[in-house]
Amino acid sequence: MRPFTYTRANNKEQALQAFTATSHYLGGGTNLVDLMKEDVERPDQLIDVNNLDYKKITSNDKGGLTLGAMLSNSETANNKEVRTNYPLLSMAMLSAATAQIRNMASNGGNLLQRTRCPYFFEVSMPCNKRDPGSGCGALNGMNALHAIFGYSDSCIATNPSDMCVALAAIGATVEVQQADGTSRMIEFTDFHRLPGDRPEKDTTLSQGELITAIHLPKAEFSDHYYYLKIRERSSYAFALISVAAGLQVESGVINKAGLAMGGVAHVPWKLTKAEEFLAGKKPTTENFEAAAELEMKDAKPFEANKWKVDMGKNAIVRALTQAFEREV
Amino acid sequence: MTKSINTSGVGSAINRVEGHLKVMGKAKYASEFPIENKVYGQGINSTIAKGEIVSIDTSEAEKLEGVLKVITYKNAEKLKTLEGVRPEIATDTIAPVLQSNKVHYFGQYVGLVVAETFEQAQYAASLVKFEYKKDPSAVIDFEKSRSKAYTPDNDSNYSRGNMDQGLAEADMVVEQTYNTPIEHHHPMELHAVIASWDNGKVTAYASQQIIEDAKIAISGTFQIPKKDVRVISPFVGGGFGSKLNLDRHVIMAVMASKMVDRPVQVTVTRTQMFTNTNMRQQNEQKMRVGAKKDGILTALSHETLSHTSTTQEFQEPCGMVSKMLYNVANNEVTYKLIPMNMQTPFAMRAPGEATGSFALESAMDEMAWKLKMDPIEFRIKNDTQTDLHEERPFSSRLLVECLRIGAEKFGWKDRKPEPRTNKKGNWLIGYGVSAASRNSPYQKTHSKVILELDEDKVFATIQMDATDIGTGSYTIIAQTASEYLKIPVEQVNVELGDSDFPITPGSGGSWGAASFCNGARAACENAIKTLKNNRNIAQDEEVAVSELLKKNQLTKFEAEGMAEPSAEFEKYSVFSFGANFSEVWVDKDTGMYRIKRMVNVASAGKILNPKTAYGQIIGGLTMGVGMVLAEQTRVEPNFGNFITRSFADYHVPVNLDLANIDVIFLPEEDKIANKMGIKGIGELGITSVAASVSNAIFNATGKRMRDLPITPEKLIEAGLEEGVTA
Ligand SMILES: Cc1cc2nc3c(=O)[nH]c(=O)nc-3n(C[C@H](O)[C@H](O)[C@H](O)COP(=O)(O)OP(=O)(O)OC[C@H]3O[C@@H](n4cnc5c(N)ncnc54)[C@H](O)[C@@H]3O)c2cc1C
Ligand code: SF4
Repeated sequence: MRPFTYTRANNKEQALQAFTATSHYLGGGTNLVDLMKEDVERPDQLIDVNNLDYKKITSNDKGGLTLGAMLSNSETANNKEVRTNYPLLSMAMLSAATAQIRNMASNGGNLLQRTRCPYFFEVSMPCNKRDPGSGCGALNGMNALHAIFGYSDSCIATNPSDMCVALAAIGATVEVQQADGTSRMIEFTDFHRLPGDRPEKDTTLSQGELITAIHLPKAEFSDHYYYLKIRERSSYAFALISVAAGLQVESGVINKAGLAMGGVAHVPWKLTKAEEFLAGKKPTTENFEAAAELEMKDAKPFEANKWKVDMGKNAIVRALTQAFEREV
Repeated sequence: MTKSINTSGVGSAINRVEGHLKVMGKAKYASEFPIENKVYGQGINSTIAKGEIVSIDTSEAEKLEGVLKVITYKNAEKLKTLEGVRPEIATDTIAPVLQSNKVHYFGQYVGLVVAETFEQAQYAASLVKFEYKKDPSAVIDFEKSRSKAYTPDNDSNYSRGNMDQGLAEADMVVEQTYNTPIEHHHPMELHAVIASWDNGKVTAYASQQIIEDAKIAISGTFQIPKKDVRVISPFVGGGFGSKLNLDRHVIMAVMASKMVDRPVQVTVTRTQMFTNTNMRQQNEQKMRVGAKKDGILTALSHETLSHTSTTQEFQEPCGMVSKMLYNVANNEVTYKLIPMNMQTPFAMRAPGEATGSFALESAMDEMAWKLKMDPIEFRIKNDTQTDLHEERPFSSRLLVECLRIGAEKFGWKDRKPEPRTNKKGNWLIGYGVSAASRNSPYQKTHSKVILELDEDKVFATIQMDATDIGTGSYTIIAQTASEYLKIPVEQVNVELGDSDFPITPGSGGSWGAASFCNGARAACENAIKTLKNNRNIAQDEEVAVSELLKKNQLTKFEAEGMAEPSAEFEKYSVFSFGANFSEVWVDKDTGMYRIKRMVNVASAGKILNPKTAYGQIIGGLTMGVGMVLAEQTRVEPNFGNFITRSFADYHVPVNLDLANIDVIFLPEEDKIANKMGIKGIGELGITSVAASVSNAIFNATGKRMRDLPITPEKLIEAGLEEGVTA
């Protein structure tokens, strides 16, 4: 590993002030430190933000909950309020990684975890995300686990987070502190970005911006929810495909649907068309299938990941079915 | 002779004698020896699959604080190099390294940085700049390189009877191809070594399975006398075959230690464990099976296409099972190898059987389905007590009993023979069975016993260069001494893993238990015999060993012993047998599946300790589940590197993937195998597990999965909605 300096910030002012172009904030370090060991991330300075006072879960003025960015994934997912009101989020978070990693991982860090594309991890391989302009190794290489939506010729990677898929379905807002000390709010769907011709940029954050909170809207899917994660082994594996499904059902009709998919795009893939289609309809298999079809017909798979289209359809229908059938 | 009661002797389920040391962190593994003045070496790996190094810039690395030496082919000591075109790799093969600017595969060692600290060495290693001239003729794509395959020049190609005739006689023929990917051993303990020189002699604390062969490899590579090499390896954190031979990090450490005149530690990183410590190669196995309507086999052929490296030859004996497991007159086994730009593959747990049984036992299941026969009855119908390949009887073979008893325990009668007929909600449920066999070699073993009298108690120390690779060798050797000396196991001390001790074949190939225990037995028997002879005591008179020492007026006595296969042994084929049963639930929408239950029945000779034996079987089953579920090393088709480079992407099973497992040992003592009646267990457990799961998946879904691992995406591609596609 390259040498670096370590700075511990005790408040947001210290953190923002210490930040330089070659700095990285340090959350749990479960992603960043791994990538430093691989020589993929090469910061000169780590600014430890774990001491900052953003470790609470509080009520917000929208009638929802606000999750501190420095709180661990475990504490968040196991929090009673979260479990009761946002069980979809809790379920998604608990499906990720292992208990040990979840204990270390912070909410802020989870939002910024980087792709698992193997070319990104191996510094002797071409990768536009790691080394802009070097080419995309996966494009004509091994891409069975890559994107089927929203990719570009520069990058076909997927976002690996489970938590973010649930946050996209729920419709969260991310609060960040800007260099000048003021804060700004980012809609979750605007937070991550498609690769375009700048795959090195995963999000719309500006340099040095510090995530301090995730605001959740008033709980809508606490009765009908399901996080379906399809993977090779029962735990400690990233999703091949995942679906976060939340339904609000009143008198046998879907009032509102919250749907997003993981493992298919550079961002947590919000299923807006399906959401709109389902609103006002009955929660039937036919409608679920039609919703799935509506989304998956836009998929542009590669030869090696065609299976994602069939699996994706099944996964959407299945997640919706499980969400609906869940006994209240 | 009256039988004395011994609660710690052979057969007792005692706890591991070294268990407390491991729990307390006091068991010293290779890299944990507190050697004074030690420095650290970090290997550097090539980043091309084939070509030449054209320039090396070490200046930045050498400037770093703490860096003592950067070793590349330019300044490395000249070593003995391999001779001939692709010489065969063996457990005692020399391991030359850093000898030229040629690169044969992605990940090959091209340098070593030695520094005061591990961190300095790692960082400096990343600063050494290599410039390569890439050779575009690198062979990295198995599929595209078939035409390069050659027939290895060894005696493993085999045939008996006449295949064409056998197929002509058949009413039904199954002709299918089964694929298994590159797999890696990945023991928990990383390969590691500390090498230090003293007065022209070298000591290597090295995590190795076979001490004597490690010694031969070091002395051979450096061309120094064997007596000047000492290898110490008291604890090995798993090997699975990856530590059978000596890998090149050991040679680099020995060389570096000489160059910097300090002890040098080299630990292989987890990523390097993929490229520098052996692997199981990809196999494509084509099976042809012919049978009569009544289920009698008429023909069986097993053709394997694999790869080796461009520099050395290894051929996994996948077809071995097909030569001996069933009663079939017409039989053919062939092998072809593609030389590829990859590290040389080598033995991984149950080489031959683990992969070969997937092909054979899947094909047998396919045939049973075609014949509309129960797969157990089909196997039993073709049982044989004679090894038709070696043309000699089996020393003992309880395969039919394994199948019958397993069927009873598992509840096989509840199986629905028609696929897709056992459903529950979103689940498709299936049962699968497979037969297992594993060769039980037994080899010459020397051992020493030291008896010490303290008041009325005799304390015994057993010494041999055997290794305990996590299997329980310490424990069963102690139990053997307890049994033959008739003293409690608490009074036995076992010392292993030092080349100063008597020579054994080491651990591997499932020969350890039989060899070590019979070796220890021989030493104990010798001790007692000599003590009796010295005082003219009749050999059949029962006298406590403490009395014998007293009668000899000795407080300390040493004896050596040697055990080896008898002439009788050579007249038989000695194998362990088993049967695997699995119940698998497949999710019809997602392709995810759960192995709900497994039953394994083993006939594996005398069970020395039910606890350690059980550990071996469930360990084997777990690895078998890994084979079928997720384990695979993927090769990048343009660059030739492995894209699976850590445990995050090389998926071994987690606890939740494992079923409720029942293990049954059939009572058996095979005195032809050896005097103590011991056979091998370590590799039996992994054998045919993948087939039993895959057969259960067919029974559940009606889809025959012939490519390992069987992942959700493959099941989705197979189409789980409907239909039986045999
Ligand atoms: C083997 C393995 C398996 C895993 N499996 C899964 C899985 O199945 N599903 C899943 O979702 N995840 C999985 N993870 C990923 C894990 O969830 C993330 O590593 C974790 O959430 C990252 O959080 P962290 O606090 O450790 O981030 P860090 O590693 O500390 O940081 C990650 C990035 O975020 C930045 N950062 C951190 N905090 C802030 C902040 N407050 N403001 C601005 N920037 C910040 C850092 O600078 C860095 O760039 C796995 C990880 C591993 C190692
Ligand atoms: S897909 Fe993206 S991350 Fe992967 S190699 Fe291409 S550019 Fe790099």
